[in-house]
Amino acid sequence: MKKRIITIITACSILSAALCLIGLGWVMKDQLIGTKNTKVTTQPAQEVPHPAHQQIHIAAFGDSLTRGTGDPEGKGYIGYLMQELKKKTKKPITLSNSAIKGQTSSQLVKQLAEPEIRRQIKNATIILLTIGGNDLFQGGKAISHLDPTFMKRSEKTYLANVKKIYSTIRSLNQSATVFHIGLYNPFIDMEKSKLTSTIVRQWNFDSANTAADYKKIVYVPTFDLFELNVNDYLFNDKFHPNAAGYKLIGERVAALITFSEEGKR
Amino acid sequence: MINLVYNEQLKLFRKKRLFVIILIVAFLVPIFTYAQYKQVKTTEERLGTTDWRTQLQQEIVDTQNRLSSSRLQEDIRQFLKVRLTQQQYYLDHNINPNAPGAPTFMRVFAENSIGLLLPLLVMVIAADLVSSEASGGTIKLLLTRPVKRWKILLSKYIALLLSISFIVLCVAILTYGISGLVFGYGGWSMPMLTGFTSKGEELITTGVHLIPHWEYILMEFGLVWFVCFVVGTLTFMLSVLLRSTAAVMGIMLAALISGVILTNMVSSWHSAKYLFMVNLQLTNYVNGLKPPIEGMTLGFSIAVLLIWALAALIISFFTFTKRDVY
Repeated sequence: MKKRIITIITACSILSAALCLIGLGWVMKDQLIGTKNTKVTTQPAQEVPHPAHQQIHIAAFGDSLTRGTGDPEGKGYIGYLMQELKKKTKKPITLSNSAIKGQTSSQLVKQLAEPEIRRQIKNATIILLTIGGNDLFQGGKAISHLDPTFMKRSEKTYLANVKKIYSTIRSLNQSATVFHIGLYNPFIDMEKSKLTSTIVRQWNFDSANTAADYKKIVYVPTFDLFELNVNDYLFNDKFHPNAAGYKLIGERVAALITFSEEGKR
Repeated sequence: MINLVYNEQLKLFRKKRLFVIILIVAFLVPIFTYAQYKQVKTTEERLGTTDWRTQLQQEIVDTQNRLSSSRLQEDIRQFLKVRLTQQQYYLDHNINPNAPGAPTFMRVFAENSIGLLLPLLVMVIAADLVSSEASGGTIKLLLTRPVKRWKILLSKYIALLLSISFIVLCVAILTYGISGLVFGYGGWSMPMLTGFTSKGEELITTGVHLIPHWEYILMEFGLVWFVCFVVGTLTFMLSVLLRSTAAVMGIMLAALISGVILTNMVSSWHSAKYLFMVNLQLTNYVNGLKPPIEGMTLGFSIAVLLIWALAALIISFFTFTKRDVY
């Protein structure tokens, strides 16, 4: 009896050793000697049918504001927006947040070229966007030397990028409502606040003008939200909003979304 | 010779070591399966979708966000950058690297246990192969037989290799059988990408090609077996050199664990790549993760491990045949 078990175990072991050696040899052949350069063909994309009518799909893009930087709970304005929306509708809401901290408008243009991002835009019912903050403030660098010609130049590239972003979104998805959340001035309490506010207002104005050229792209102002008591709504870094600041933005967007949904019906 | 090997197999069988190891694996696999299952469920809940493309995209965005923070160590940054490019490559070619299924679980288990868990299990078998006979005194009885010493040692070594193969086989069967209950048994033929190499923070995709999943798994288990063979041989040498099994285990444990720690911090100490314990993560070369030290390749790691194993074999046979036993 014992003898038979041991023979079986030994046989299994030899078999396994042989298999493993084949595997090992295969690795060597595959990785070291190199292969007959088989081209990697892209697998055909099998489209998952998207029940667009039963559920609301939110696609969010942009920078740290959409990420929620500064909110201790990490919800960001999207978290508060979702809370509000869940009160208003019984439909399931899904969210894909593709925002990247520190993203500038030209980086977003690049991101929108990725196939998966494009698929998300296609399936979205609502698209949220924050962009421009990093183009304008460049992490606070620009604010220390306010050079008007430099500012003009960066605004020009920014506006050209925004145009590209809007057209890309519209060409992929004609029906989704796009909410582009505008810029506020985090430096409104500091010196030269007049100058910085003028610049931010100018950017907001020009962006809103661009948005007006497209159907169902709403430029949501936030400048006024932070105009008074800016420090109550800012995080420690004096740049990103805190929880209270995000809540303000979230509620503002939420109010708009119900309105546009009722308009659809 | 066959009788000698049979004799060693019988001793191993009597000690019930193999049985205990299989029990350990059989106990661990359900735990990992459950953890994996929970993880899948949580991501599904968080994103509200079962579509893997959305999930992978979300992972990519999360990595991008980690990369954008400035307080990141250079080597971690490079590691993340390489992984990010790879994930993007998978996504662009519409291939799911983590399709649920028992084969995927097998692969992930092999990749995660090759560095520590499986070497530890092998060590348990190999540690007292010779030293227990020395400390128990049975070695004298064995050596009084009219058989050459090197034959005795060789029979022990062959028995060790057989046990290692058996352990690898059992791990494969157990992970497949148990995880399949939850994830399903399919997915052997889905395509996988291999052949990534990295240079600095760049991922080089010129050598990338598609292979079926079963081939990928077979390759990884081949590497797992190789690592177990090397660790087993080193432990075997210590077992010949030292009379105390506890000392053998202690030294091997320290070496293996220091390997895990070292791989996380040796990126700037280049000569550390000649240590065997930093070279154990062989599967990383197949799936394209960045090696701990710049310039390490699969061929290099295999060569280093092989040299260590050969040296260990020579030392063990030399000392065993020359030593006075009293």
